[in-house]
Amino acid sequence: MAANYWASSQRLHWQMSRQRLAETRNALDAQDPKTVQQYPLPELRHLSIYFNSQIARLGRRMQTRQQALATAQLYIRRFYTKVPIRDTNPYLVMATCLYLALKMEECPQHIRIVVSEARTCWPDVMPSDTAKLAECEFYLISEMNSYLIVHHPYRTLQDLTPVLLLTNEENNTAWQVINDSCLTDLPLLYPPHIIALTAIFLSVVLKTSLPQANIHAAASSAAAAAAAVVAANSGNSAGNSSGGGSGGGGGVYGASGQGPQVRIGKLIEWYAESKVDMEAVIDCTQEIISLYEAWESFTPSAEKNCKDQLCRMIKARGIV
Amino acid sequence: MQRAEDREVDDKDDRGGGRPSLLTSTSASTSFNTITPTQRPPSKRKREGTHHEGDEGEDGQEEDQEEKGLDEEIMPPYKSKVRVLEEYHIIGFISSGTYGRVYKARSKLPGNTKEYAIKKFKPDKEGEVIQYTGISQSACREMALCSELSHENVIHLHEIILEDKCIYMVFEYAEHDLLQIVHYHSHPERRPIPEATIKSVLWQLLNGVSYLHQNWVLHRDLKPANIMVTAAGEVKIGDLGLARLFWKPLQSLYTGDKVVVTIWYRAPELLLGSKHYTAAIDLWAVGCIFAELLALRPIFKGEEAKMEKKSTVPFQRNQMQKIIEILGTPTKERWPAVTQQPEYNQLQTFKQYTNNLEAWYHQIGATNALGFQLLSGLLNYDPTQRLTAQAALEHQYFSDGAKLTLNAFEGQSFDYPHRRVSQDDNDISLPGTKRSGLPDDSLGGSRAKRLKEG
Repeated sequence: MAANYWASSQRLHWQMSRQRLAETRNALDAQDPKTVQQYPLPELRHLSIYFNSQIARLGRRMQTRQQALATAQLYIRRFYTKVPIRDTNPYLVMATCLYLALKMEECPQHIRIVVSEARTCWPDVMPSDTAKLAECEFYLISEMNSYLIVHHPYRTLQDLTPVLLLTNEENNTAWQVINDSCLTDLPLLYPPHIIALTAIFLSVVLKTSLPQANIHAAASSAAAAAAAVVAANSGNSAGNSSGGGSGGGGGVYGASGQGPQVRIGKLIEWYAESKVDMEAVIDCTQEIISLYEAWESFTPSAEKNCKDQLCRMIKARGIV
Repeated sequence: MQRAEDREVDDKDDRGGGRPSLLTSTSASTSFNTITPTQRPPSKRKREGTHHEGDEGEDGQEEDQEEKGLDEEIMPPYKSKVRVLEEYHIIGFISSGTYGRVYKARSKLPGNTKEYAIKKFKPDKEGEVIQYTGISQSACREMALCSELSHENVIHLHEIILEDKCIYMVFEYAEHDLLQIVHYHSHPERRPIPEATIKSVLWQLLNGVSYLHQNWVLHRDLKPANIMVTAAGEVKIGDLGLARLFWKPLQSLYTGDKVVVTIWYRAPELLLGSKHYTAAIDLWAVGCIFAELLALRPIFKGEEAKMEKKSTVPFQRNQMQKIIEILGTPTKERWPAVTQQPEYNQLQTFKQYTNNLEAWYHQIGATNALGFQLLSGLLNYDPTQRLTAQAALEHQYFSDGAKLTLNAFEGQSFDYPHRRVSQDDNDISLPGTKRSGLPDDSLGGSRAKRLKEG
């Protein structure tokens, strides 16, 4: 439970395979194909980027901590694996998820404040009646089967920062990558520590905050590097296992005086010794890369498209 | 057990006459001044905020025309997939409190003969019509934590039903609780609680607390009324409405809830205003419960100073006095950090006492020296030296003498009376009591008012 991810509701009830996730979503669409066709929505990645920016906007108005934002985003993602998005007002759902996440992260805001701030953010689509948000809260909790406690990768990052002697900069980058992982399906697919290890890995590879355009290239090389480890690893896994137990802290040293390649190598060595599931790390890395690619194509006009399609859907469905 | 006729006294703990309790609505602070290491700015990607300043202005003008249609029609009304009365046969009403009411029930599923306690959280009301108003922090905590926890000494949550603006938490049923057991024995003709029972109850209680603490959960309202015991003698910690996680909180625990733990069980560091208290507060409460099982009355039965303003927490002088009279003055030698407590100055104004716990222990007729050792360890002033749940479990008190059993009632030649269940008020679907037809908190409210005015 709270201290133990392995016994948590997140692992037992809210972690699924890619395949099951895809099937679940397809089944939702199949419930009402006519409506799906009638109200086209942007691709999921763009929608996720849009939701993230919107919920961050609302959160900023209430000085919300990142952890509560991350919780709210996971609630949204869980909810929409159970309920067709076209049956809902996504703005009301976003506000509700944040309202509930703030309570769960023990930094609550009054319902009236959340509604009024959400009205300021989305005046033409957010209901002004607090009872609507409160009703949506019932819906949300019910669909999540009351499993509200969420494990985030930030904690693993904090725990491993001293162990891996991460620099401030690396820690910051890793933190950002974890934030970005909230825009993907990763929190539904992988345990938080795998996401944290991916973020740390990327932070060391990406190093000195590369310009945006290079992230893709750098991340790709990271994925390639990781893949190489797995290949190498499968060759001499017997040799590695002897060092596995004691390999805890010693593998990685501070970056000073070392070339980035050496540091990456050391990190990979530590992962191998710690028996990190590198296949999972690679998969996560690729997911993050895909996100950054989608981000590149999320132009202002794509964003406007998101907004317009959602708005059209809400209004048309509302009148029905 | 509380008699059904007493239920309009809106306090589930008012069974023994004047037992204090905590209103569970003390949370909901909205300040964000505390900065913890976990604070980071939200993810800042380039395009995140590029457009929003513009659209706020233009959209704002449309506000009024749009509002009506949207509020009515956007989302279909929430409907529960499960209905409480279709699933359960309500046997009767058990008790009520600030949170709502508890009913005893049986499943309607054929073959399921188990009994349940259904806790119905009452909806807040605005005006005559019951509306959705947002679930209280306390209900959220209890739902979230009970869904996550699983331990033989923590009450088991069977399911949660969200229906008709009400929350129903369906728990396993427990026939007894420690308050009821203490009351049973405090009858002048009856004997004290058998030592084997006390030992078993205390061990199981500590076992549950240890599990909670290992999982970073603070209970924050341990007291006899919240400790259930099943007919099979298993202890179940209940009422997690004030419990919360304490792993690197985003803000200090104090900021979230100004007042925690019912006054008689409240640890000295809380009384002295400590903002960053620890799991040790639960162990103090366990010490008080241990003492109460032995003495059949609360060891520190102080009078609560009422909060006059919502923002300021009064110093609980009388409660502190009761503690000092038995445990002696908390000196720097006994509690090095006592001088750093916010209310330390208040302590200077008390008369000096020596530690009289041993005398108290003998005076109530207790003789087990190891029991005294354990009690002193739990009632240690210094939270950093107070026994942890794990250390207490390993105390020699449990390994010596009478054999420890996991059935608290094993070998007992008598039966405790069953929980009283009122038959004539078992309509769970009603918002309030049958007699008045009024929602029960407005009833409680008007009564409280009357008492104040009278």
